[in-house]
Amino acid sequence: MSKVQIDANLYERAKQAAALAGYSSVDELIATAIENELKRLGEADAERQVAEQLRGLGYIE
Amino acid sequence: MGIETELTIVSGLPRSGTSLMMQMLASGGMDVVTDAIRAADSDNPRGYLEYERVKKTKEDPSWIPESRGKVVKMVSSLLYDLPDSERCRVVFMRREIDEVLESQEKMLRRLGRPSAPADAMRRSFAIHLERLFRWLPTQPRLSVLVVNYNRLIADPRPEIERVVAFLDGRPDPAGMLTAIDPTLYRNRVSPTVA
Repeated sequence: MSKVQIDANLYERAKQAAALAGYSSVDELIATAIENELKRLGEADAERQVAEQLRGLGYIE
Repeated sequence: MGIETELTIVSGLPRSGTSLMMQMLASGGMDVVTDAIRAADSDNPRGYLEYERVKKTKEDPSWIPESRGKVVKMVSSLLYDLPDSERCRVVFMRREIDEVLESQEKMLRRLGRPSAPADAMRRSFAIHLERLFRWLPTQPRLSVLVVNYNRLIADPRPEIERVVAFLDGRPDPAGMLTAIDPTLYRNRVSPTVA
């Protein structure tokens, strides 16, 4: 397992949020957040590529 | 609310059979909204049946009220731009993705424009469609019927029946059938139906 460093205050907020949202640990909340962000970035990249293709084909401006 | 007061949209990825569905609905007696700006060419010998103003729907949706009760073509990514209050019937065309990609590549080549590698586009279109089909069910104002192009060409009648039922019996099935010309089914990558 790799370790990352985050601000102590952010960690405390994450700990409280994890407990409220039913996560088993802060680690689980952080892993979920990273997964979601990676998915979002992947989607944004894919949509950019789709938009370029559609523009090339003349379907959008 | 009924089909007479709602906008009917034919959508999908480019080269997935949207022009064919537009032609079928026109042949079935429905009014289609088109400005004929994009003329027929070797990629679409029967014409595109497009309406330029749909491309600017986000900035200017004023074309919509006068188009209710009619059919308009709108590429998949533009569905997000429809106003929140607009009730629409969406006939969404799906086609084997490799056929779509091959056809798009040919069209881009003819236009002298670049195309991303097929593998990258396949992945991006998959993400695009997955995201779109996650979003569509959250939009109760948009009723969606997915029509498979490959199945439509292979056995038109059952697919036409589905479309007619979805559009409250408005288009004439016999008229729709006359618009299908299997000789225009090019860029076929597999004899199987998805």
